[in-house]
Amino acid sequence: MRPFRKLAAAAIGLALLPTSVSALGGQARPPHLRPPDPGSDEGGLWDASDKAEQKARASGDLDADPVLNAYVKSVECKVASEYCEDVRLYVMDRPFFNAETAPNGYIEVWTGTLLRARNEAELAFVLGHETTHFALNHSIQAERDLKNRANGAMAIGLILSAGAMVGGAYAGMSASQISSMDADLVNISYLGAVAGFFHFSREQEMEADRGGFDRLTAAGYDPAAAADVWRRLIDEQAHSDFEKVRRTPARAGIFDDHPLEGERLATLSELAKGKGPGDLGRERYRAAIRPHLAALLRDDLRRRDYGETLFTIDRLLADGDDAGVLNYFRGECFRLRRGDGDAALALAAYEAAATAADAPVETWEQLGALYQQQHQAAKARAAYQTYLDRAPNAQDRWLIDGALKKLAQSEGT
Amino acid sequence: MRRWGIIAACLSIAACTTTQVKLADSIERPAPTSRMLVLQPDVQLSIITAGGLLEARADWSTQARDNIAAAVRSALDGKGLKYSALDPSSVESGRNAQLLRLNNAVGQSILIYNYGLVLPTHKAAFNWTLGDGVKSLGDTYGGDYALFINARGSYSSDTRKAVMVIATLVGVSIPTGGQSLVASLVDLKTGRIVWFNVAQASPDADMRSPEGAQKLLAEVLKSAPF
Amino acid sequence: MRKLVLGLVLAAGALTLWGCTTVSDAPTGAYQVGTAYQVTLGREWADVSRIMLDRSKSVHVLSIDGPLLNRLYLSEGIASGDSMVTSHVKEKPTPTYKADFSAQETVEFVADSVSALDYDKVETSNLRPAKFGGIDAVRFDLAAKTKDGLDISGSAITAQRQGQLFVILYLAPTEHYYGDGLPEVEAIMSSASFRGA
Repeated sequence: MRPFRKLAAAAIGLALLPTSVSALGGQARPPHLRPPDPGSDEGGLWDASDKAEQKARASGDLDADPVLNAYVKSVECKVASEYCEDVRLYVMDRPFFNAETAPNGYIEVWTGTLLRARNEAELAFVLGHETTHFALNHSIQAERDLKNRANGAMAIGLILSAGAMVGGAYAGMSASQISSMDADLVNISYLGAVAGFFHFSREQEMEADRGGFDRLTAAGYDPAAAADVWRRLIDEQAHSDFEKVRRTPARAGIFDDHPLEGERLATLSELAKGKGPGDLGRERYRAAIRPHLAALLRDDLRRRDYGETLFTIDRLLADGDDAGVLNYFRGECFRLRRGDGDAALALAAYEAAATAADAPVETWEQLGALYQQQHQAAKARAAYQTYLDRAPNAQDRWLIDGALKKLAQSEGT
Repeated sequence: MRRWGIIAACLSIAACTTTQVKLADSIERPAPTSRMLVLQPDVQLSIITAGGLLEARADWSTQARDNIAAAVRSALDGKGLKYSALDPSSVESGRNAQLLRLNNAVGQSILIYNYGLVLPTHKAAFNWTLGDGVKSLGDTYGGDYALFINARGSYSSDTRKAVMVIATLVGVSIPTGGQSLVASLVDLKTGRIVWFNVAQASPDADMRSPEGAQKLLAEVLKSAPF
Repeated sequence: MRKLVLGLVLAAGALTLWGCTTVSDAPTGAYQVGTAYQVTLGREWADVSRIMLDRSKSVHVLSIDGPLLNRLYLSEGIASGDSMVTSHVKEKPTPTYKADFSAQETVEFVADSVSALDYDKVETSNLRPAKFGGIDAVRFDLAAKTKDGLDISGSAITAQRQGQLFVILYLAPTEHYYGDGLPEVEAIMSSASFRGA
């Protein structure tokens, strides 16, 4: 039995490897700080972040629109004024709610966030939340925790292997445990694996919620915005077409492991109680998003979760703006979903869009197609003609001309 | 797969760097007056933690990058060739950025289809190109040929080495790390990849040290057409 | 090269070892696309269908220099409810064809399928009438970006016949590769002929 005990002791020793304490302890990082030692794990994380940032700058996903980027950066600076000069913000064209700040100060805000925030205050809370992760150096702690878990898992694997020497019961398991560990454990060197150090603990997420809330209110925004934006993510997910999604607890981002429902939401609601209203910045926000709204909705539709997209559209419609674009995309949801009765729903949505000043020109093309399907030839011709009048350079002009010809023939004119 | 068996066996013996070279046929050897555009080597070195994670080491990567660049410079000096350096991260947009990204795609394709799977359309000669749009790179940055070097390495930490000892005792084999380097030479008039080399370095050609990098580069550049 | 050198090559080697993936030859001459139609290849291509894991079983993929540098998708007849590109996750569905699609919807189907292949900023342009094996078809061009920011150009043709959709789609980096392969691709598209038509 002695060799086993020795090995077990050594392996357990591994699991208890001390982590070096961050020089900052639990305090917020001061502005302009760079990790002093490129040989340290923080230095490695910084370097990995630099490389990930370079990749983001070259990425096909990058949304280079200067006005949009400047606007989002301005909101960041309102809630994180002390880091405003340190951070570089990149809007990425990805239809998911997500925002991350890397340890070197590079921020990604995905366009799915911009679609779902209803006003500037909600975006401000999200950015304040992310800034708090950055300010409290959560990434380095997350990386160290990951390392410890890996060491622990390795230790367990070795104990089991040692057990195999004496017991034989774990013989096959130990080898596969170790190889699956290698597969599961994230390569935290660089690039896509940057995600590996955004898996924060529950305490870190609570801290970031709290910090985000404090930054929100300090900047004069409405305190209710914090709980509002998390609650809407929960509600959106509850409307998903997919049962698995409906049953999964909603989270605040792609890498967030911790549910919004329950204590996180309750805490933020509680914090907002008794505090006076603040700035929502709804009109400012909608004005900044307006030029991109159609593209954001088109991207969201690519996910093909019509229940969720319809939920988002309906919430935005309730605010009264952008009725043309929103109703058009409502129509698109039904057109693409193609369920029973969806053609009628699509028609109603496009007709609603057509009454609004900001209706996309494609509204009339879709109306023409639907009227044609329903053998309403006169209405179809009128709609197609409107489309061609409004879009003289339409790339499918020849197809519409063909349809008009067909309709004229069928009408016998 | 026999190739990999040989390489694995080789790595377990003390000192051998193995290289697998591809040379395009019917190319002109670079004239002695050729100018080389040396792209800053893309080097990423990591330490393997006890638990088997690869943890980036910024200091090693920078060191090795500088060592390799210095080794390249002395090799080119030795051949009397003129050269200039280019940091690819400074090329952010426009045609030159597209050419560098295309070079990455071509390099990946060469690795998959010349060192792994077989493409029937690339069986005979080594024939890969970036197209003659590369003239843009030559015109902008000056150079008749571009030299690209990528290196990756992972090295066991001391605790990892301790783990390896334990692992060996219980009969488990775990990844120990290694160094690999890929080098390619592109003709900036035609776009052809005239030379491509994949090297697996032995531990005594440790690119973290200037001498190790010199040794590794000497092996790698042995087969270069200049 | 951003990918781990050794990892890529080992992965490729491992795939060959398993024998479940092979790259086969598509020689010059007639190339059968399922039982529905054939095209004529003006030069030798590689049939990389089996290493392209995202495509539907009824979609063939040809390449000359590997899928990163050129790829030609040729679908057998895609039936109503089927896709060109498969998804491995039920909650992330890929576009499905419906037999009552308009011509514009077939263009949208192809563009959305290209997006589902993880290309970014996919756009279509230059829609024009064409013939596919003698029946009416739509030709159009595409632009996209890879995740690494490499510009991609494309060209496609779609045709509907007897409740099925036929697609030929060519994608290649804009720099050099797209233009270099386009004449051959256009000849292939023009050469499509239905069997027993």
